[in-house]
Amino acid sequence: MTRALPTSTLSHRARGSGLEQWVERHLRILMLAPAMLVLLALTIFPSAYMFVAAVTRISPNPDLPWEFAGLQNFTRLLTDQQFHIGLRNTLVFTVSSVTIEFLLGLGLALLLDRYVRKLNVLKTLLMLPMMLPPVAVAITWKLIYEPQFGILNELMFNLGLPPQAWAGDARLAMLSLIIADVWQWTPFMFLLMLAGLASLPIEPYEAAAIDGASAWRQFRDLTLPFLKPVIAIALLLRIMDALRLFDLVFILTGGGPADRTKTLSLYIYQVAYRFADQSYAAAISLFVLFATVAFSTWFIKRMRLAE
Amino acid sequence: MLRSRSAAVTQEVAAYCGIAIALVITLFPVYWIASNSFKYDIDIFAIPPEWYPVNPTLKHYRAAFIERPFLQYALNSLIIAVSTTAISVVLGTLAGYALARFQYPGRWRHQISFWILSTRMMPPIVTIIPLYVAFNYLNMLNTKPAVVIAYTAFNLPFATWMMKSYFQDLPVELEEAAMVDGDTRFGAFLRVALPLARPGLAATSIFCLIISWNEFLLALILTLTERSQTLPIGIAGRVTQYHTYWGEISAAGFFACIPIMIFAFIVQKHLVRGLSFGAVKG
Repeated sequence: MTRALPTSTLSHRARGSGLEQWVERHLRILMLAPAMLVLLALTIFPSAYMFVAAVTRISPNPDLPWEFAGLQNFTRLLTDQQFHIGLRNTLVFTVSSVTIEFLLGLGLALLLDRYVRKLNVLKTLLMLPMMLPPVAVAITWKLIYEPQFGILNELMFNLGLPPQAWAGDARLAMLSLIIADVWQWTPFMFLLMLAGLASLPIEPYEAAAIDGASAWRQFRDLTLPFLKPVIAIALLLRIMDALRLFDLVFILTGGGPADRTKTLSLYIYQVAYRFADQSYAAAISLFVLFATVAFSTWFIKRMRLAE
Repeated sequence: MLRSRSAAVTQEVAAYCGIAIALVITLFPVYWIASNSFKYDIDIFAIPPEWYPVNPTLKHYRAAFIERPFLQYALNSLIIAVSTTAISVVLGTLAGYALARFQYPGRWRHQISFWILSTRMMPPIVTIIPLYVAFNYLNMLNTKPAVVIAYTAFNLPFATWMMKSYFQDLPVELEEAAMVDGDTRFGAFLRVALPLARPGLAATSIFCLIISWNEFLLALILTLTERSQTLPIGIAGRVTQYHTYWGEISAAGFFACIPIMIFAFIVQKHLVRGLSFGAVKG
């Protein structure tokens, strides 16, 4: 696919100063090294620190030495109710919001692809939410959900339904979170699906039409298989993002009420900064990291994305 | 015949209704926060709600940007976003070009690219605790450079992959021609490939600006005062347990959205590629 150029100059004429020739000879590594060194420093150090922190007991007092704690921080994961709640909330949130976003995004993309091909302005307007600062999105929905004067309860009132506390109601808090996330991220799915649809070949559809295949058969046997790589990438990126949800939940519900919306990211934040227990925070972080890596590796293999 | 035509019309009408509903749902919240930012407090709390600001006021903008340090927050956001973007795009362009063009033994090209991408997959909450400890040790907590360094960790992999994907789209012959004409390898990159990749460079920069401008978690942990706090942190600070300053956060929140809306229109053609790290070409 990519054609590689030889590292050194094609020309045989000796040219330029010694320095220029040296740069020329080592160009590949000189261009790669700055980025790689920065990334190494910013990933190797944090990872190493996390491993060490997770098997020690770090006292909040910096003058006290670290004590070796073995696997204590990890065994604590097994019995920590708060961790289990966070894990469950994160999974419930991720599965529901990504599924809804995918279905809505695909539906909308099919509609737009079929009926309004050339309307770029419409596309730009529809994709706006995902570009906005998550904090602005969070306060916007906080305003909409506000129990006393919020616009959603006004809508409920007009529909003859009882008002709700939404983000402040233990039963509805997770739903409120999912709705806000779906509002912000459906455009992402929509846009990627639209790009996938635009790149579909025409011939198989013509053949299918001649054979008299129904619209549903065409969708199932042609569109979906052709879209599979795009769908896989879109799902992977959204799942990774949903698993680390923080901003929205921090502002909209703060993890409450009664821990109903406490996500793993929020819990790690609380453990590290409110309870000042860095070692345990490190252990949970490592769990999250390994779970994420394991999932994405499995997913990439499963979907054969690597090729 | 007649029946199938009327069915097609019905279908079309239903489709347009669907699109119209999606458009209203998409845009209403943005309109609502903007509209509330121009209302007096009493009108924000009005029941039934006031659908547009009947008595428009700039009171909340004055409160946020003159009485409270939101101008400083915005300035910090801008400085941090621009610095992060500059570093990430320069380093990412060099690395992206090297990965797109040079030969590597075995599967190294693939492995290096994938390693760079994998660093972006680390959840920020995992990286931030060690970075916090390191910046604390270096006495750099609550400074803008600390935030820039942390942001670079997340923007650089993105910039590298984006630029790699743009360089791969360029025909290699033009660089070969320049080199046959006596240009150096680096000269061919600088004078031929780079100018051709300008649209990609612009799109990548705008994406980095957006990511940095919007970021919340890292700034929340690394900054403490208005010396380095960014706009999102300033906004979150006005949502307290006891009182939420609706007018002020609406004003600041809508203000934070304005540059993003402009950027969204500029990069719309590159959006698909940007969202998928160059994997899907829009």
